Amino acid sequence: MNAQSIRLLVSWLLVAVLLGYGIVQTLITAAKLFK
Amino acid sequence: MSLLTALDRKHTIAPEGYSRWLIPPAALAVHLCIGQVYATSVYKNSFIKHFDASQTSIGIIFSIAIVMLGLSAAVGGTWVEANGPRKAMFVSACCWASGFLVGALGIGTKQLWLVYLGYGVIGGIGLGIGYISPVSTLIKWFPDRPGLATGLAIMGFGGGALIASPASRQLLSAYDSGYDPNVGTSVADGRALVLLFVTLGIAYFVIMMFGVANIRVPAPGWRPAGWDPSTATEKPLVTTANVSAANAIRTRSFWLLWIVLFCNVTAGIGILEQASPMIQDFFRGDGGVSSVSVAAASGFVGVLSLFNMAGRFAWSSTSDVLGRKPMYMVYLGVGMVMYLLLATVGDSATALFVVLAGVILSFYGGGFATVPAYLRDLFGTYQVGAIHGRLLIAWSAAGVAGPLVINGFLDAQGKPGSLTADAYRPALFTMVGVLAVGFIANLLIRPVPARFHEPAGTVTALEKEAAA
Repeated sequence: MNAQSIRLLVSWLLVAVLLGYGIVQTLITAAKLFK
Repeated sequence: MSLLTALDRKHTIAPEGYSRWLIPPAALAVHLCIGQVYATSVYKNSFIKHFDASQTSIGIIFSIAIVMLGLSAAVGGTWVEANGPRKAMFVSACCWASGFLVGALGIGTKQLWLVYLGYGVIGGIGLGIGYISPVSTLIKWFPDRPGLATGLAIMGFGGGALIASPASRQLLSAYDSGYDPNVGTSVADGRALVLLFVTLGIAYFVIMMFGVANIRVPAPGWRPAGWDPSTATEKPLVTTANVSAANAIRTRSFWLLWIVLFCNVTAGIGILEQASPMIQDFFRGDGGVSSVSVAAASGFVGVLSLFNMAGRFAWSSTSDVLGRKPMYMVYLGVGMVMYLLLATVGDSATALFVVLAGVILSFYGGGFATVPAYLRDLFGTYQVGAIHGRLLIAWSAAGVAGPLVINGFLDAQGKPGSLTADAYRPALFTMVGVLAVGFIANLLIRPVPARFHEPAGTVTALEKEAAA
């Protein structure tokens, strides 16, 4: 794996972790609507 | 090489073989951070208690930040174009992070004006510069799919609130054992608020530096492998010419698009601002008690946030296929139908209400995300970031107009907690009218006359000069 591939992986991973956290937390809140 | 020199546009030109897929996460690193501005309601009650201030005094913090966003994007747009995205992102990160730190000082010393200055003014400048900084770079890297590229970045602005809201609640809970994030009336103490602001300031600065490190501008004349520019100009309204920011604001199309954005945002903010009480009021029974609990209403706000974020990416990407003008006809035309349905049959079932409001919010987000690509189509890539900055004043204006329209009508209908679906109808029908104005303005948009175009060859020469 070359330097650019690692850079791509780390960059998208950071975005995925941040957005994933936000979406999961929001879905937990949103679930209250359907209880 | 000094730090500031390394940030210059000419030191930001991508080497051959640099992957353009590094640019969207660089843009997202900035937008996911500055999107926090939509999560200020999390600590609003804690601020009110800590400063012993009114709702309005605390609400002004958010208003100052949004007004500064519009102003700095409009005034700083040309500077961003001239200095490149890396320096702009760095300045944005410094302003955004120091805004939190000055705000923390204000909280610690109970000086509300310092919070206005820090988070509102300094942070607001970071918001405006950060919002526009990656836009023109993305459009230049993705001339084949500008809607997808800008949709990805601007989706981050919607996503920023999804991250900041729960993260702020959890941090406040960790810093103040007496604070319960599951209880709406629970408030955090001043020490926890200071620590929250310091933590957010430092964390956002670090994340935004990822964007600063990865952002690059394409070399002059670069184009994606296998892409033929003539395929783009086959679509109506798409130009190969370039218009400067100074000339763009002298065109009719710019102001028509200003009206389009203003109307679309005004209509969306109407629902966004009132979401939680609105769903409870729509399903209030004869006894005055709503069948939708406070917890369910907060869930509804979460659903709307997801629609808002998803719409930014999905609709903006779709505009690459449909074209920008037809896409806005959908936002505004279908939006009118959705608002009419909401006003007339929205109170018949909760699921129907949620779907209608969700689609409206997805159009609201889509309108934001598609507008840079619309500007690229009309004015070319030359100063599209600066033109975008000038257009964002429409956002600030709609941020004032939308809540004024909704709250003005509701105030005349009765007191909060006693309203029903009937009380919302005048406001919702007004929003249909607002969208109709935007729909007509969009229909009137025409290609920019050739007298506003930059002379052929000038733009490439300027780009080469900047890169030298």
